[in-house]
Amino acid sequence: MAELGRAALVICLGLSVYAAAAGAYAAYRGRRRLSLSARNALIASFVAAVVAVLVLVAAFLRNDFGFTYVAEHSSRRLPALYTFSALWGGQEGSLLFWLLILTGFAAAAVLLNRRSAPDLVAWVVPVLGGVAIFFSFMLVAVSSPFDTQPAPVDGAGLNPSLQNLHMLIHPVLLYLGYVGLTIPFAFGMGSLLAKRGDERWIVATRRWTLAAWGFLGIGQLIGAHWAYVEVGWGGYYAWDPVENAAFMPWLVSTAFLHSVMVQEKKGMLRIWNMLLVAGGFVLALFGTFLTRSGILSSIHSFTESPLGGWFLGFIAIVIAFSLALIFLRLPLLRTKTKLDSLASREASFLYNNLLLVAFSLTILWGVLYPILSEAVTGQRNHVSGPYYNFFLHVFGLPLLLLMGIGPLLAWRKTSLRTLARTWAWPAAVSLVVGAILLALGAGSSIPGLIAYTFSAFVIVSIVVEFVRGTRARKAVAGESWPTAFSSLVARNRRRYGGYVIHAAIVLLAIGIAGSSAYDTTREAKLRPGQSMEIRGYTLTYRRLVQRESENAREVRALVDVRRGTSSEGTLSAGKNNYPVERQVSNEVAIRSNLVTGEDVYLIAQQVETDGTVFFKAEVLPLVNLIWLAGFIFIGGTLIALWPDARESRRLADRYGYAAARA
Amino acid sequence: MRLALALSIAALLAVFLLYTSIAGGGTPSLRPSQLLANGHDGNRVTLSGKVVGHPTGNPGEGGLHFRMRDVNGTATVAVVYRGTVPDMFRTGRDISVDGRLRNGVFVGVKNTLVTKCPSKYSPKKSTS
Repeated sequence: MAELGRAALVICLGLSVYAAAAGAYAAYRGRRRLSLSARNALIASFVAAVVAVLVLVAAFLRNDFGFTYVAEHSSRRLPALYTFSALWGGQEGSLLFWLLILTGFAAAAVLLNRRSAPDLVAWVVPVLGGVAIFFSFMLVAVSSPFDTQPAPVDGAGLNPSLQNLHMLIHPVLLYLGYVGLTIPFAFGMGSLLAKRGDERWIVATRRWTLAAWGFLGIGQLIGAHWAYVEVGWGGYYAWDPVENAAFMPWLVSTAFLHSVMVQEKKGMLRIWNMLLVAGGFVLALFGTFLTRSGILSSIHSFTESPLGGWFLGFIAIVIAFSLALIFLRLPLLRTKTKLDSLASREASFLYNNLLLVAFSLTILWGVLYPILSEAVTGQRNHVSGPYYNFFLHVFGLPLLLLMGIGPLLAWRKTSLRTLARTWAWPAAVSLVVGAILLALGAGSSIPGLIAYTFSAFVIVSIVVEFVRGTRARKAVAGESWPTAFSSLVARNRRRYGGYVIHAAIVLLAIGIAGSSAYDTTREAKLRPGQSMEIRGYTLTYRRLVQRESENAREVRALVDVRRGTSSEGTLSAGKNNYPVERQVSNEVAIRSNLVTGEDVYLIAQQVETDGTVFFKAEVLPLVNLIWLAGFIFIGGTLIALWPDARESRRLADRYGYAAARA
Repeated sequence: MRLALALSIAALLAVFLLYTSIAGGGTPSLRPSQLLANGHDGNRVTLSGKVVGHPTGNPGEGGLHFRMRDVNGTATVAVVYRGTVPDMFRTGRDISVDGRLRNGVFVGVKNTLVTKCPSKYSPKKSTS
């Protein structure tokens, strides 16, 4: 069976090489039939990747420990569901998974655009083939998931912290996001290779970018939720390099999603968009590299890891290729349009882009700081939370405000008069909210107070936008309020989907501000019967319970929660001891108040044999808004993604192809 | 475009300068051997290494006592730490912890102990 898997990967490599080489030659010479055959090779490479993945899945399901990879990441006791986590839990499997998604996306993207943009697709095929060459080559020659060995009796098992639903979904979403960014990159570069300076590539990939960006965003949020409920230190994001690795491409593609609107509307920012799309893809590769190479946990494992050097080399090639291509096509990308006014919609997009890119660059700087500082001074220094939080305030808060200001500005320019009219409500409400919060004592954290005030501004401006649009629609079409509202959204899915996403980001900001700037932490050593007070809650430690489960010895401290005179139920926080894996896991207890969004978070840090427990309790206000934001984010993204017949007809007219086929 | 580039570079530089002047240049990352050799007495550093010996004591009260060794080396240093202990912590794991060297004992800063995830940072394969 392993031979079949290896053969499938070799075939996949061969097909990618053909797609890249024949595709490039055919596109250069204008050979239509050869071009089609290169495209078919790219599609066939997906089939080969599917075969390889199926071989590995079958090996996992059969517990075939003759496969080294299976033996290292699974065991007989591992539930079948988690064999999928194991499939992409290790280095080789995750690379294979990358290849599978890459070739699948590539096949879908070229098939969907084959009629509407044939000249573009002819050049997109070799670019995608080139990326597929790298990953299939790595799997064939450097890091094979199909290495075999004399089968041991049982496998090494999967890390218990990966055995949960979060870790089943989270990596998949991140990979869909990372790999999805390849498609806009390939179309951007394909457009340059085809000597097209227009917006066709952006139109062809708008939904791909949006979907990849949405996956990346939700994937990170699920990761944050996992950290919150499973890792158990009372937080959800720690500016860890691997977390930052996913955050940076997300920030850059956020910038890209906004700046392409300027190019579509005004034909501006063409060079900038090419740089952004290349930057997003490079950061996605860099993210995979960071997660997999181990360069940051210890610089010395870098030289040992076979993967690191190859990845760096490929990243260098991608950067050189993109920059050279953009430079060669500069005359094509130059635009004559100038910015009319600094107070216009396009200018606000420009500010948003600068802030987002500056923010991701500062994060990149922080991530690379240990390596850079060692190279320059010989002393390995690193930066942590305070560094990143500083920049989160410096760039994040203005971004938050811009989210409210931008949509209120008109394209080209906005007069002072309209400005005053549209800003009146949001500004008034946010000032009142700010004043009330200040009176309530929110001034204990200035960034928190600013975040709340700006959030109020954005929320009101979004509401104003919806009301204004619905009212106009009602007046023009003579519809009832609900009909006018739904047809308003249906006719402008991208715009109003975007506003819904903005609302989600605001909720996220409020949740982050509330839980990080206004949280309370108390620690106490309690004997049964004793209590601790935290922010109006009384936590009374009742007793200790022990039980044996299938694979762990579980200890739980039962703690009654009271607020004033009303009982809020019982929390059970404790530890699981896994004797086989020789591991102890903290099992935190969380009491969520779904009305106020506040959590009581309880950790039993240390359990003594005499029944004494060291507790750490936290009260995190508004933290549940973060998870609520995730659902609204998905909703908004779906609205913006939803197929729009009117839009397709408009685009068909603009680019002169038959809409029915598109 | 040029304006945009100039603006972004200017903004970046300004903020960098601002930051470095406020906060200095980050925390040094050291291995136990470097910590002992350089004598970073009293300065806050991040110590990275492998947990060796049997951890004793209590992270809640008197402090958890253990030794840390270079991941690829033999130098070890005694560590005392209070605060949250991650699930993955145990003898043989690679960890990092912030703290200060005081009279030959590395005194950890509360709640700074982190473990390296062994599944993600799998070391060099011996089989391949």
